[in-house]
Amino acid sequence: MQKLILNAALSLQRSKRYRHAKEKARDLFENDHNPYKRFLDLFIIFLIVSSVFILVYEVDHPIPSWLDSYDIYFVSFVFFVEYIIRLWIHSEWSGELVDEYQNACFLHKKFDFWSAFWRATRNKLKYLITPAAIIDLLAILPAYRPLRVLRIFVLFRVLKLLRYTKSINQFVDVVVSKRFELLTLLFLLAFIVITAGIALYVLEERINPQINSLFDAIYWALITISTVGYGDIAPVTDIGRMISMFIIISGIAIISFATSVIVSAFSERLSELKENRIIEQVNKSRAFLIICGYGQMTKMLLRQQQDEIGDYVIMDMDKERVAQARKDGYVAIKDDASRFETLSRFNTDYTDVTVLCLTGNDIENIYITLNAKSISRRIKVIARVNNVELANKFNYAGADHLLMPNEVVNTMIRTAITQPATYKAAHAILTGKTIAKIDEMYMYEQHGLIGKRIGDIDFNTGKLILIGIERNGEFLFNPHQDEIVMKHDVLLVMGKQISIDYFQEQYRAGNRS
Amino acid sequence: MKKQRILLFGYGDHGRHIAKGLAEDGFEIKIVESDQTYFRKAKEDGWIDVEIVDVKSDALLKLLEPETFDQIVCVMQDEHLNVFLTLSLRSLFKESYIISISDSIHTTKKLKMAGANKVIDLYEVSANKVFNIMKKPVSTKILEGFIRNREGIILKEMTIPKDSFLDGMHTDALDISSYGILLIGMIDEELGHGFMFITTGIDHKLDVGDTIVCLGPHEKLHAFEAAIAKSTETEAIAYFENMLKRVTEEEE
Repeated sequence: MQKLILNAALSLQRSKRYRHAKEKARDLFENDHNPYKRFLDLFIIFLIVSSVFILVYEVDHPIPSWLDSYDIYFVSFVFFVEYIIRLWIHSEWSGELVDEYQNACFLHKKFDFWSAFWRATRNKLKYLITPAAIIDLLAILPAYRPLRVLRIFVLFRVLKLLRYTKSINQFVDVVVSKRFELLTLLFLLAFIVITAGIALYVLEERINPQINSLFDAIYWALITISTVGYGDIAPVTDIGRMISMFIIISGIAIISFATSVIVSAFSERLSELKENRIIEQVNKSRAFLIICGYGQMTKMLLRQQQDEIGDYVIMDMDKERVAQARKDGYVAIKDDASRFETLSRFNTDYTDVTVLCLTGNDIENIYITLNAKSISRRIKVIARVNNVELANKFNYAGADHLLMPNEVVNTMIRTAITQPATYKAAHAILTGKTIAKIDEMYMYEQHGLIGKRIGDIDFNTGKLILIGIERNGEFLFNPHQDEIVMKHDVLLVMGKQISIDYFQEQYRAGNRS
Repeated sequence: MKKQRILLFGYGDHGRHIAKGLAEDGFEIKIVESDQTYFRKAKEDGWIDVEIVDVKSDALLKLLEPETFDQIVCVMQDEHLNVFLTLSLRSLFKESYIISISDSIHTTKKLKMAGANKVIDLYEVSANKVFNIMKKPVSTKILEGFIRNREGIILKEMTIPKDSFLDGMHTDALDISSYGILLIGMIDEELGHGFMFITTGIDHKLDVGDTIVCLGPHEKLHAFEAAIAKSTETEAIAYFENMLKRVTEEEE
């Protein structure tokens, strides 16, 4: 028997297909970034909603038998399968068993099969008693028809929705974080209710016809303390009424206290919840930008190109600067980009992330660069270097591009002094003025320009200047008239924005005229 | 040519680099500071012509005789002081050419109002570069060359000398591609000091004294600058090729 189980576990672990399938299933069920998970979620949500709808509709209307069997067999079956899969992917039962076995073999120890078996099984059992698993199990139960009362378990199907609603989970989180205060209040409430209930029971049980048991008295106390006051049970003696007055007042105090605890817990967590929302939002896009530091440079960048940089999020450690950024209408969160946890919250596996280190502090910028690169090599880093002597260190840290505003200003001032005309030209070009835009044209397949001689292309009408062609990483400046445009070339042209747009339009794919 | 003299206010983060760069370009520099620490730093770095002056005082500013300098550069560390200084200098010396540095759009506006001839924004160029890096990798490489300003493909301006074959030519008719360089724009003295890009499509007549700005490899630009002094085009081309050959030979 032991051997049989052990052999089965071993062969499972050796099977590549088995492990692959399990990996796939786990990704589908648990990884939020998996694009197919959304369809699975929607499917299950549909089953839940339809099942509840049938429950409600059935109360008053006859329903066709196919709908009934859909509810009993199909929905329950899918939930059952889901339950089994979730149990399966929760932990590595056979893996743990095999590990223990191999360790024992390695150490030449006697392999205690049953204790290893128990340890592996315990992990699965632990999953079975989590609230989510219990809800899943109860949601299958309504399939058992002979017991009518089990129908009410359909409501557990509603609870299954909890898995898909983040806001409720966040609410539960907040309440859990204040459990000490709330528990204290609950005990206080229970204490007052029970004392008042017992007092009323003792005082009025014989006089008051409405009170027949201790349960009645406690029910009355709770209804009164919550200020609901149905009035089905009411005290008839003066002392009973005095007890009423006392518990009504303490009830108001307790309720308002409980409300304020929950509200304050929420407002404490509100900014965090908001920021999580922002990160979730930005994680959904295919490519986005994390801008670290909200200083003059960031402001300038956003003012110049906000429409064209796509999705972004500004991150700053300083509360006031974050508030300022939000006031200016930008998406900003307060967080420390040099911490591992901060950047790893972003979806770096499925999207293209660019980190812009624009803080005024070089050490901070280097640290953020290293942090981003340590999370994933795929993250592109553009870093600002304030002290030109540190440029080398940024290169070591792995920054893809460096920005040196000081050096730029230095050159600009020197140009302004020595070559004033050039300064005007360079300034207009470097700041991307529409009068002299430098633009790139990519020769994709079937672009109208491919195969043409440079001399035959009409750059003159729009007064465009062909600066050069980039081909296989090399740049040909001012190419010769006889040069032929090839596929995958990048043409660099300069001209007025409208001329460039018109030119592009003219030679759009396939338009060879 | 007489050495240009420059009065540099401020030896802070930017002043330091600018002073060094200008000295490399062969300018005569006088540094003025109002802050003890920066003043000492300038002395330590080996500058001789350094003065510590309270720039808030008009009388002391007059003593510096700014009118004898060709250009005045204001790069004080304190942004407010910088604007104030620009304003004082302008009110005292109407003729001086003042260049100031700014770190935000608001300051740029104030400096312009205060009377600076040229305001250089610290971040404007860099911010645009971020965008270029992300969306236009090829042009980024070329633009990088403009800033490095030393070798590779650069921008250069040249004034049209007397008897040049360019005198009287129209920009539309001008074809300088045989020199391996591109004409980007010009300052037409007849039409004032504004810079015109050739890409605006307005035909200009070139005259003596006009400034043209060309883009091209470093050595070709130098050869071309020398060649435009010739009176006919054939002569110029011959001279240009000759000169280019000599440069390449020298390099080898």
